[in-house]
Amino acid sequence: MTPAGQMLLPVLVLLPLLWLLPQSIHSGGLDLLLQFWLAALQPSLDPQVLLSALRGLGITLAIALWSWLLSLLLGCAGGLLSSGLVSQLLWGCQWPAAVIKRLLALPRSLHELLWGLILLQLLGLQSSVAVLAIALPYGALVARVTADQLDALPVRPLEALSSAGAPAWSALFTALLPPLWPQLLSYGGYRLECALRSATLLGIFGLGGIGADLRLSLQSLQFHQVWTSLWCLALVMLLLERVVRWLQQRWQHPLASVGQRGRELVALLLCLGVLLIPSAQLLELSWQQIGTRWQWPQALPLWDIAGWNQPWLPLISTTLLLTLLSALLALAITPWLLVLLCPWKGCRPLLQSLGLLARLLPPPLTALLMLFVLKPGLLPAVLALGLHNAGILGRLLLESLDARDCRASQALQLAGAGPRRSLLVAGFNAVARGYLSFGAYRADVILRESVVVGLVGAGGLGVLLLESLSSFAWIDVVPVLVVYAVLTLMGEAAADAYRRRLLQGHLPLEGFKPAIGP
Amino acid sequence: MLDLRGVTVPGRQRPRLHALSLQLKPGERVALLGPSGSGKSTLLAVANGLITPPQGRVLWFGEPASRRPQLRRRQQARIGTLWQDLRLVDELSVQQNLNAGCLARWSWGQVLLNLFSAQDSQACRLALARVELDHGLLMQPLDRLSGGQRQRVAIARLLRQDAQLLLADEPLAQLDPPLARRLLQLLLELGQAPRALLLSLHRPDLLEGFDRVIGLRCGELLFDQAPASLTSADLQQLYSTQGQP
Repeated sequence: MTPAGQMLLPVLVLLPLLWLLPQSIHSGGLDLLLQFWLAALQPSLDPQVLLSALRGLGITLAIALWSWLLSLLLGCAGGLLSSGLVSQLLWGCQWPAAVIKRLLALPRSLHELLWGLILLQLLGLQSSVAVLAIALPYGALVARVTADQLDALPVRPLEALSSAGAPAWSALFTALLPPLWPQLLSYGGYRLECALRSATLLGIFGLGGIGADLRLSLQSLQFHQVWTSLWCLALVMLLLERVVRWLQQRWQHPLASVGQRGRELVALLLCLGVLLIPSAQLLELSWQQIGTRWQWPQALPLWDIAGWNQPWLPLISTTLLLTLLSALLALAITPWLLVLLCPWKGCRPLLQSLGLLARLLPPPLTALLMLFVLKPGLLPAVLALGLHNAGILGRLLLESLDARDCRASQALQLAGAGPRRSLLVAGFNAVARGYLSFGAYRADVILRESVVVGLVGAGGLGVLLLESLSSFAWIDVVPVLVVYAVLTLMGEAAADAYRRRLLQGHLPLEGFKPAIGP
Repeated sequence: MLDLRGVTVPGRQRPRLHALSLQLKPGERVALLGPSGSGKSTLLAVANGLITPPQGRVLWFGEPASRRPQLRRRQQARIGTLWQDLRLVDELSVQQNLNAGCLARWSWGQVLLNLFSAQDSQACRLALARVELDHGLLMQPLDRLSGGQRQRVAIARLLRQDAQLLLADEPLAQLDPPLARRLLQLLLELGQAPRALLLSLHRPDLLEGFDRVIGLRCGELLFDQAPASLTSADLQQLYSTQGQP
């Protein structure tokens, strides 16, 4: 099958979803849903609401910024230590890197929300919990990507410098940092966007910031207030995406002279440094607090056999089903909308705004909204996860369609093929591998994320874990944690294998660069 | 300067180098001839320390090649290689690439500063002038240079390294004839005492100016003599397909 065919096939997921629909739909909250969407046009402009939203946004941004920086630091250090190349250069063998790489798989196997809840038990309620909860799994992810990219770089310049007597670290920095830099930049920018989404999400679960405002106002049906927060968040998200993209393009472009780029980087780092101080004050971050509040839960029955007595089969299969359906839905939406709407002029702006909306609404919030018209269960969870990830995948699809070589489409259109056909034949085939490989990675993310839509009764491992963590049922926590971690690591390996097979002999697309790694 | 004694490097089917001995004195400029796969690149890789031969001895500047990393690096800092694929860092500017030759003697601070700003501009200008390149190129990203210019930048990097023993792996392979001659002239000038030059090439017509020419075949030394005494029979034997794998 052509790559474009593989891109369109996931639409078959609509069949099981449509089958589920009649048994879970109800009309009880239809007017509420209508009110919610109408409120988008009239966000509350009450100064108190506005002030509260801005304060929440400030906290979310501060959490995102700190956790992002911390994760980059952890990730770069971890990436260097777990790279086979560096290990070979420093110690003359590769096994230390392999060991560190395995160890780093553990922090990234758990979703940041689970880290948040675990750290909440250990540290008590403080802002550093949210920062650490994001920084730990993200750091491990960044480490993995950095190590993979380092190991994929051409080593010959490095060899040349080493054989001219350069010390290992000097040679490494001079020969490998410059080619690694654009990739790190691209990936780092993407992670900042992820950190903002995660910080919002943690807020919904009570770890501070605008997410808390969102959930409170939604649950009290104050839709106008919900939209005040949402518009603020949308503005920031759009701005951040634009700035990150601009910086990536500016610094990857060969026209920027090398020295100037260095000065710009120093300026940016100074700006970040200046931003860090007020955001630390806003979060009331302090090492002392982390140290003094630390407490190990009393009498942990970690290895009690009773905890292992769970209905594993339904738990695991529900989790996998939720992941599979959501991932397929996320993959199917944008290509089909593009095919259906592409002859129309307003197609691009419409898809862009829909995508932004989908990325903006955190999945648990969408799931809560779904409950206005759907009964709790698998369907609202699938829709929430699927739509959110479709927003993320869709943005990359549109960007990579813009970045592709258009000559093939042009030739087809000049030969009389309409926009739909040329998109299907030339456009989709050019970007499909990149899109599918990013989709595989997103599926891996959705598996971890399945825990966040637990509150709508989707079931599965994540939900059980969430419940046992928040009800201090430690007896259940450890077994579920272990099984969950093993499952996510297996999912990661499967997604990796699929991506490798897909990209064999093909370079990933420009627009998908940030997504080569997770 | 370089002293190889009975060096053997095993290969998959037959040794890449077999019991090879070779001496190079200061001021000597030696051409290395041989068909493809005869072991020229392997010989150069042994000479610059990329390959440590399991058999035989390698002496650099009269001392055995050290196994202690720090000492070995100090020895290698005096050996400069002009690689066939140049091995420059494409993402850096010309000046930063030239300075990459100084890594062995630079402090950490200098290494990091070199990634962000211009270091030692005067020395880089001199090096560029020596290879007949305009100093206006210093701040240019490397990927905007032509093939010939890049090759000169790679040679200028050897000058920044202040290498005593110059090794060059087929530097003339992809150049047009006039350019090849000029570049060879430059390398021969640089190879004068106190330096020495060992250069592999495919062109028996360009041996003028070399002090010695070495013929390598199937990893073994076939001849080692003055270029003037090289006969067409020698060359015929060197390039004949008989006895080759």
